[in-house]
Amino acid sequence: MLAIDHHAWTNRWCDRHPVEKLLPAGGLLLLTLMLPPLTTGPLVLTSTALATVCGAGVPLRAVLAVLAAPMTFLLAGAPFLAMSIRFTDGLDLRFSSDGLHLALATSVRALAAVSCLAFLALTTPLTDLIPLLRRVGVPAGIIELILLIYRLIFVFAERALTGRRAQAARQGYSRFDRGVRSVGLLAGNLFQRALEQAHRLEIGLAARGYDGELRVLASRCTLSWIRLAAGLGLVGLVGTVGGLLARELP
Amino acid sequence: MTEPLLATRGLEYRYPGGIVALHDLDLTIERGRKLAVLGSNGSGKTTLLLHLNGTLRPARGEVLFDGRPAAYDHRAINAWRRRVGLVLQEPDDQLFAATVEQDVSFGPLNLGLSDLAARQRVDEALAALRIAHLASRATHALSFGQKKRAAIAGVLAMRPEILVLDEPTAGLDLHGVTHLLGALQQLHETGTTLVFSTHDVELAYSWADEVALFHDGTVLCQGETTTVLKDREMLQQARLRPPLLLELAQMLCEENGGGERQPLPRSRDALLAVLRRKLASPKDGGDECIDQPIIML
Repeated sequence: MLAIDHHAWTNRWCDRHPVEKLLPAGGLLLLTLMLPPLTTGPLVLTSTALATVCGAGVPLRAVLAVLAAPMTFLLAGAPFLAMSIRFTDGLDLRFSSDGLHLALATSVRALAAVSCLAFLALTTPLTDLIPLLRRVGVPAGIIELILLIYRLIFVFAERALTGRRAQAARQGYSRFDRGVRSVGLLAGNLFQRALEQAHRLEIGLAARGYDGELRVLASRCTLSWIRLAAGLGLVGLVGTVGGLLARELP
Repeated sequence: MTEPLLATRGLEYRYPGGIVALHDLDLTIERGRKLAVLGSNGSGKTTLLLHLNGTLRPARGEVLFDGRPAAYDHRAINAWRRRVGLVLQEPDDQLFAATVEQDVSFGPLNLGLSDLAARQRVDEALAALRIAHLASRATHALSFGQKKRAAIAGVLAMRPEILVLDEPTAGLDLHGVTHLLGALQQLHETGTTLVFSTHDVELAYSWADEVALFHDGTVLCQGETTTVLKDREMLQQARLRPPLLLELAQMLCEENGGGERQPLPRSRDALLAVLRRKLASPKDGGDECIDQPIIML
């Protein structure tokens, strides 16, 4: 997660208007879900990978790392889709061609869909998406929660990491039972510190005139219609080619 | 004589549970000065600072603003905090937004400024702390020193008359301290009154106009920096000792025969200059001590 965030803030497209990335990613996602996956899936996967790696300059390794997590789920789940079970004469377990087709189609579709989200996550800082949420009418309270959680995740991740290291340095993880105990202590400690942190944050915010609403300036980037059109053009292209191929190959 | 900008009279505060945190505390903050609240760890400095912007309300005694007792209703507190900016010691306690620019814009927007005016304040505050290049960086990706400056910028953007800083140099390396003090000095020269807490006698000596010696929940004495920091007994009572710079400078002056006291060197460089001059011409010198109020450490 920290790696995703790092790339989101440092890639070549990080300063571009979020809509330029959100709409094409959303468009490709829709195509993936609507068109036959075996033809459209690879197209979508290729376009998002090219956009992320060649366009935004995110290292291929990072993209693969993001896709690795859903891939494990697919590898674990797909074989069961491919198998068919019959209980007629005892237990009859076999791979069927329908099942194989289904497993392949589902895997490709899922992977292509995740790649759209990975593109968005790796190229767009979360803070850029928040003003969009506000514009589509998400309540201010929820947006503030997202903002604070996003900020504090890093504070606590850092504390958890240093806390764990400090425990490990004092043999806190030298045996399984000690490890369990150490994790429990660390969790309790983090909870308490979270409460204290919240209290101090409140003091800090109050000192700057907090009155119940976290107002901040939106970022300055402007929407480039040309880039947005190019992105949507790609979606159109993938849609057309995917649709044609699907008609050719039954 | 004009009224002090901010003062406390007979302040008393108890923590929940009844432990006395502050008692009989008198402090005077004059306009346009740099005041160091000097005391050892755990002596209650932070608790005192939290009274200076109305975060904590004293059990007894009062805080005077322009000579008038401060009120604690919602409107009065808002007006108070507009004039007194408080910077907490731990920047992570203060930075809440995801980017530096957003975080700094929080205060100005709370003042009711337009987006345009707020943006101007943000740019101005970032420039004053020399972190304009960090404007669109993620808050969590900053170094500690950068976070510290971002936190100060967030308060500065509200253009307070008094900037109250809790241990501003704690945890900073030489470069960070030099950078920060340079920026604060510039603010001070443009008219901001500075109050900061510290346990570092060297910092207080080299940088403050005035020192309030703090111990065990009260101010032992308040006065000109050199006067307070020469008082060995008083410092000992506060579990501190005179700054090395001051002691060396005093020794040099005594060796020169005392004579009329000229300003003592207040910085490392100034002291080294005296020593160098002395070593170059040991016979020469008389009673001269340096009058070079160099600010940087």
